[in-house]
Amino acid sequence: MNLERVPNEEKLNLCRKYYLGGFALLPFLWLVNVLWFCREAFLAPAYTEQPQIKSYVQRSAVGLLFWVVVLTTWVTIFQMHRARWGELGDYLSFTIPLGIP
Amino acid sequence: MMIIFMNSSDSEEEACNERTSLISADSPPAASYQDGLQAPEAAETQTYRKRRTGGSCSPSDADGGNSDSGIPVREIAVDDKEEELTLKYGAKHVIMLFVPVTLCMVVVVATIKSVRFYTEKNGQLIYTPFSEDTPSVGQRLLNSVLNTIIMISVIIVMTVFLVVLYKYRCYKFIHGWLILSSLMLLFLFTYIYLGEVLKTYNVAMDYLTLFFVIWNFGAVGMICIHWKGPLHLQQAYLIMISALMALVFIKYLPEWSAWVILGAISIYDLIAVLCPRGPLRMLVETAQERNEPIFPALIYSSAMVWTVGMAKQDAASRSLTQQTWDSAEDVREIHDNSAYVESEISEARSPAPTHPTTSLLEDLEEEERGVKLGLGDFIFYSVLVGKAAATASGDWNTTLACFVAILIGLCLTLLLLAVFKKALPALPISITFGLVFYFSTDNLVRPFMDTLASHQFYI
Repeated sequence: MNLERVPNEEKLNLCRKYYLGGFALLPFLWLVNVLWFCREAFLAPAYTEQPQIKSYVQRSAVGLLFWVVVLTTWVTIFQMHRARWGELGDYLSFTIPLGIP
Repeated sequence: MMIIFMNSSDSEEEACNERTSLISADSPPAASYQDGLQAPEAAETQTYRKRRTGGSCSPSDADGGNSDSGIPVREIAVDDKEEELTLKYGAKHVIMLFVPVTLCMVVVVATIKSVRFYTEKNGQLIYTPFSEDTPSVGQRLLNSVLNTIIMISVIIVMTVFLVVLYKYRCYKFIHGWLILSSLMLLFLFTYIYLGEVLKTYNVAMDYLTLFFVIWNFGAVGMICIHWKGPLHLQQAYLIMISALMALVFIKYLPEWSAWVILGAISIYDLIAVLCPRGPLRMLVETAQERNEPIFPALIYSSAMVWTVGMAKQDAASRSLTQQTWDSAEDVREIHDNSAYVESEISEARSPAPTHPTTSLLEDLEEEERGVKLGLGDFIFYSVLVGKAAATASGDWNTTLACFVAILIGLCLTLLLLAVFKKALPALPISITFGLVFYFSTDNLVRPFMDTLASHQFYI
């Protein structure tokens, strides 16, 4: 879908829907929201709905940052301590690498 | 599969079952060229993917006005200009389609070459019940032909079912079917794919991260494909889904059956799209009568033409393709992973209704020339190249030869599309070239090159 041909209310609606959808554990949706509406919110000439779109984009960016931090922390902890956790580590693992670490 | 030029772009949706169709839509003064060719999707696992390639000729509008002048010289000039524009757009569309087709094939070949899972033989789909483990050549050939007959019949049944559903306006059913199909594709197959890739690279992954990643990937995919999303993301998802489908086919179709099926599907595509009573053609015509877009979910669109009026129709077309997909889910395979790929295949070929140009013309405010190609075409192209990569003894020679053959076929098909300006099947020419190149390279060129190399004779 091309944003250029969409009326401004539609854009705001879309941005809002993407923002709200991201609360369903979907930081990827927030990322798409930020990247897609970034130009609309910050670089396009001003129009009535732009401040709202800007706020949605900013909030999506904050949420995205939060999830990135959480995920990075968890993945780091898991990868480093998986072997030491023994049974719990195996239970949590989807794939277990073979061979000697 | 049909190639259709469309003036208005449908939101692409992956149509698993839609057959490849190349659709060109010309907006210009001439009658809408949009003929959706919907090739029945591969009965194989996916719902019918329709490939429509649509190229719209925008200049026609302006030219149409000019041609009203009635001055012969001016008309000739206008005609020339139109033709030039048509050819120019044709060339542009070729380029626009090269990239996604190449990307899909690259993904499939890369996976085949690196992940062992997709080349291991682990059971067959229910659509190909005859095993190829027979000692005699004749028996093996017979089994593969029987497999093909079963597969093609399933595809035909699915296509006809889809046409019937569409004719009786069971849009909700179709819609639900399509959604279920793409759900399965986006979640289940991605899960299996990720698992195998992680195992290949010996990377540890915990369930939490895995489910989180797959949930994000799948949910955003569903939103992009079936609702609204950035064009490039939508295209990327469609390419990924086609690649996943192609990988499933490569894994679960036995050797000889795969080649025979490819040939048979091309012939079926030709018949279904071009014959007056062909299911795909009927679907296209019905869609045209109702001025509805052809299943957007099953079509890859290279450019976005956004019309206000299209939104509702997209859902209808999408649902149609999904239905074909869902029907395929009944297949059970004898395999650990129990992938429900087979069901998709049967759904496959749903005819892609032609894109109604007239309605679109009214709705369109702006037009971008776009080419639409059905997803089924992507899948079968990738199946051919992937099979060549998996089983050819000539290694990269054969793979590259098949790749080039398919692209040449695609160019020719698009050229024909620009000339005929109606929906055309995208499979026959490319698959024919691909098959010819595969067998000749594998059996003639490779031994030739090997012998030359071993004798250190350079030409």
